[in-house]
Formats: sequence, C-alpha cells, structure tokens
Amino acid sequence: MLWFERQVVDRLVSTPDPRRRADITSHVDGTIAAMPEHLRAAIGAASLAFGGWFGVMRPRRRSPEATTPDPLVHALDTSWIPPMRQYVRLFRSLVLFAEQELP
Amino acid sequence: MRSRSARTLDTEVLIIGSGAGGATTAAKVAAAGRTVMVVEEGPWVDPDAIEPFSIEEMVLKYRHRGPCATLGAPPVAFAEGRCVGGSTEINSGLWHRLPSYLSDEWRDTYRIEHFTDDVLDHYAEEVEQAQAVSLLPSAPPMSSAALERGATKLGWRAVEFPRVFKYDERGRGVKQTMARTMIPRAVEHGAVVTPDCRVMKLLRAGDHVTGALCERRNPDGVTELITINADHVFVCGGAIQTPALLQRSGIRGQAGLGLKVHPTIKIAARFANPIDHGGVPMHRITEFAPSLTIGGSVSRKGHIALALSDSGADFTDALADWERVFVYYAAIRGDAGGRVFAVPGLRAPIVSYRLTDADLSRLARGLIHLGEVLLAAGATELYPSVIGGRVVRRVDELASWWDVVTRSSANLMTVHLTSTVRMGEDRTRTAADSYGSVWGFRNLRVNDASLLPDAPGVNPQAAIMTIATRNAEHFLAEG
Repeated sequence: MLWFERQVVDRLVSTPDPRRRADITSHVDGTIAAMPEHLRAAIGAASLAFGGWFGVMRPRRRSPEATTPDPLVHALDTSWIPPMRQYVRLFRSLVLFAEQELP
Repeated sequence: MRSRSARTLDTEVLIIGSGAGGATTAAKVAAAGRTVMVVEEGPWVDPDAIEPFSIEEMVLKYRHRGPCATLGAPPVAFAEGRCVGGSTEINSGLWHRLPSYLSDEWRDTYRIEHFTDDVLDHYAEEVEQAQAVSLLPSAPPMSSAALERGATKLGWRAVEFPRVFKYDERGRGVKQTMARTMIPRAVEHGAVVTPDCRVMKLLRAGDHVTGALCERRNPDGVTELITINADHVFVCGGAIQTPALLQRSGIRGQAGLGLKVHPTIKIAARFANPIDHGGVPMHRITEFAPSLTIGGSVSRKGHIALALSDSGADFTDALADWERVFVYYAAIRGDAGGRVFAVPGLRAPIVSYRLTDADLSRLARGLIHLGEVLLAAGATELYPSVIGGRVVRRVDELASWWDVVTRSSANLMTVHLTSTVRMGEDRTRTAADSYGSVWGFRNLRVNDASLLPDAPGVNPQAAIMTIATRNAEHFLAEG
C-alpha cells in the first residue's frame, strides 16, 4: 500500500491490539494488490492526489479516547468531491470485512 | 521466476475454464471417449476444506480475492470464481430452469436453432439428475421463511427455489459444485485437469485454432510456459474472461459487447429475534419477475457490516446486534449493457457497465418493495445500501427512498454476468453460432455464460449447464 493508503487504513481499524491491526492491514494490502491493474492504478493515483491534499491540510489524528470520528476519515467522508467519499468507502469496506471475518 | 523452456502437450479437446460451462463440457465430452484436457487459472481446492463464504474462501477461490467493479456511474461490484469449479464453488447453488418466455424470445430475436422448450427440458433433466437438484427436506430456515411470511402478508407470490444440494439422512445439505460432480466425472473418464494454469492466448492458423499458450505456476513457485496443441478448443472462462481471451488472441467482432448483469440493491434488516446466518435463503419473491426478483444474501457478520455501512448511517448499535440482522436484495433485469475490453499489457480486462435512468428507477422501486416485504415479515429497522438513505422503521417512511437512489448514492453489486459472446444465427448480433462455434473458426467454441443472449433474471447456472450439455452433444454428433 502507498503511504496515504496506510494512513487511512490505520485510522479506520478500530481494534487497539497491534497484532490484529497488523493482520487486518496485511489483508487489506493483499486485497488491494490483487485488484485489476486499472483499478489499482486509479486508487494509487487517488492516493497520491489525496495524500498531497491532506498533507497540506494536515488533519490531526484522533486520540484513542475520542468518541468523535477521526479528522482525516471525517474529512474524506464529508468531502464535496465524490471520488474522495468513494475512496474512503472502499477502504472502510475492506477494513470492516477483515475486522469481522479474520479469525 | 519463469522457466525459459516451453513444454508442449497434446490433446484432442482443450477446455479452458472449469466452471459450470467448462466442467459440464468436460464431463460430457470425456464420457464419449474423447481425450480431454481442462486448464483452470485458479487452484484446485478441496471443497470440504474451507468454510463457505469465509474470508479464506474469498482469498483462495475468488478472482482478485473478492472485490472488483465495473467502470460506470454507479460502479457495480461483481465477483467471479477463480478455482477448479469456477463460480459454482462460491455461489448459492440456486437452480432455475430458463423460463420458456425467455427461450422463445431469445430463439426469435437471435435466430437460435434447436432452442425449444422440449429440447432444453431434455438437457435440463439430464443435468438435474447429475446435480441432485432438490427442495429442502424440512422447514426452511428463519431467514428464508421471513421472505415467505412477508410475501404472504402482502398477497405476493413467493417460491422456494430448488438448489444443487444433496441431503443426508439428518437433512444436512452439501452443495453439489463442479468440483464435486462434473469434474470428478470428467476425470473418471480420463480427462486431465490442470489447475494454476492461465491461458495467455489462443494459437491460430487461418480459420483454425491450433491450441493455446499457457503459463503454469508450479508448487515451487516457478512459472513455466506450456504450449497445448489441440484439435478442438472450448473457451469456458465465463462472461468476463472468455471475451477477454478471445480479444487477446485477436478475435474481436461482437466478442465482449453486450455484457448483461443483474444489478442488485440491498437492505440490512434488523429483526426482533436472532436469525440464522449459515446460508443463503432459498425463497424468492417472484411477484414482479422477471423484471424484479427479491431474495436473501450471504449474511455472515462481515457481510452484515458491509451492508450496514452502505447506508452511511451510524450502524454501531446494529452491528453489535448482528445476530438479529440479515441482508436481503432486490435484483433487476435492466435495459443497460456493458462491455469487456482486453487492453494489451494488462492481465485483467476493463469491464464497463452503464445503468439507464429507467434501471435506476427500477432499482428504487425494488428497494421499496423489498422494504415493504421485510417490514411485513417483522423487521424492525432497515438499512438501505444507499448513501443518505434514511434508516426506516415504518412503512410510511419507505417513500423517502424514491429520490435517494441516484448514480452517486447507490451501492450496487451483482454475481450474475452473461451475454458477452452471444449465440445465434444472426451474425449482426452474435459472436457465435447456435451451438457456440465462434464465427470465422472451424474448431473454436465457447460454452459458458457468455453465450446467453441476455440476463435470465435468475441464477444462470441452470441455463449455462443446460446449454453447455446441448452444445457438447452437438459437438460430439459432428464427429
């Protein structure tokens, strides 16, 4: 996964257990890598573009005790740019499924 | 790592793909005494070794480990099997013969020979015996009974679909996938099945296909090139991979055009009591068929989480109560079409599909009908797979969904893909003749979901296997 993709996944994973976090991240990484080349390329391009954008905007990381959404995830979720919303939905789907289904 | 030398193998009949079409063809042709080789891109996985619909199954048996999507607005997520047995290893096993109004329509529109009810019923019976097609031996599970209950309350028609399940004396059902039925039958008659073997392109000489160039991943990780010489070639890779292989081999024409799917919209329904999650409901609401069918989906905890999240609403509480939640769907036969396009240098083809406005309207109608029947069945909370679609608890709230099913908000998926190498004698609309012979080639045939001229509105496995049996018999009769 690219740097920004790893950032998004890291913020979407809900469990604090480092080993489980690593398993989930690894599963998402494998799934993204197995995608058709054209879809992977599109996601990679979006990651570079959004990574640059949020590199400038610098949303803060949520503290572990916080009950509000992570600022980066919230910004993607509520963006006026449809591909940003689709982007975070894709990663949320992969993370959610892995969180519920990985043994 | 790839070995430099290319091995050469010879066979009389080469079958590319081992799903419903390929395995059926292999069993029929091998039983007739022909020398058959089946090549399958994915692995050969013991069907008893992996829990159905688990994440492990997705990783091992699905192409791309699960998710893929069409290009278009909205994108439609789809899944394909990639293992010995193909998509029959990962589907629900529901069985529905091709309705006669569709076979009549297809025969007349595409000028398909020998495509009457009598002919198709003859082959369907043959396949059904081999596949142990049957109804449940006991009462349906709660997830399925809920559909029947809701339909009865509304006065709608609901039926239990038979499935390719064999039941033991305790009523425990085992899905009869190709890896359990047709593939062993083909092997018993001498067919050689080669898994982990991807066909890169067909080898051609004029109007003749001489075989295929393949790459095989060996267990030691080394990839070797194999040239397989064959007198006859059947391409049975499914509606996405079959036209892509034809295109990679320089065969275009109509191949890849006219992709049909069943766009599907979902609801995660929360009930007052716990509900089963072991399988897929066998009841379907056919009140609005063939344009709209309502049924139930795989609903493990992961699938429920995905369906709940599709609405965009807060679903923390519902997910914590997942044992009371089940996922249901409304699937349409749309007007839209798509395209499969193999791009040189890319392994995966590009798949496009563009819904029409009328299709979006049908999906909204389907979503509301689905909501009606689930509330009638006793659901207390409905999460639609539409971003911004409100969580509904009462019938009078369903009308709010009419306006939210848009190109940017609907989360759609499909598991039925057909019609990319349509069959028939009308060459302006088809890529193969009435028996799957690709136009312009004497010994190249297609025998899978690609041949179906349109989406059947139901699980296409029965139609695929019926037509594959018919076409294989026609091939054998040609001598």
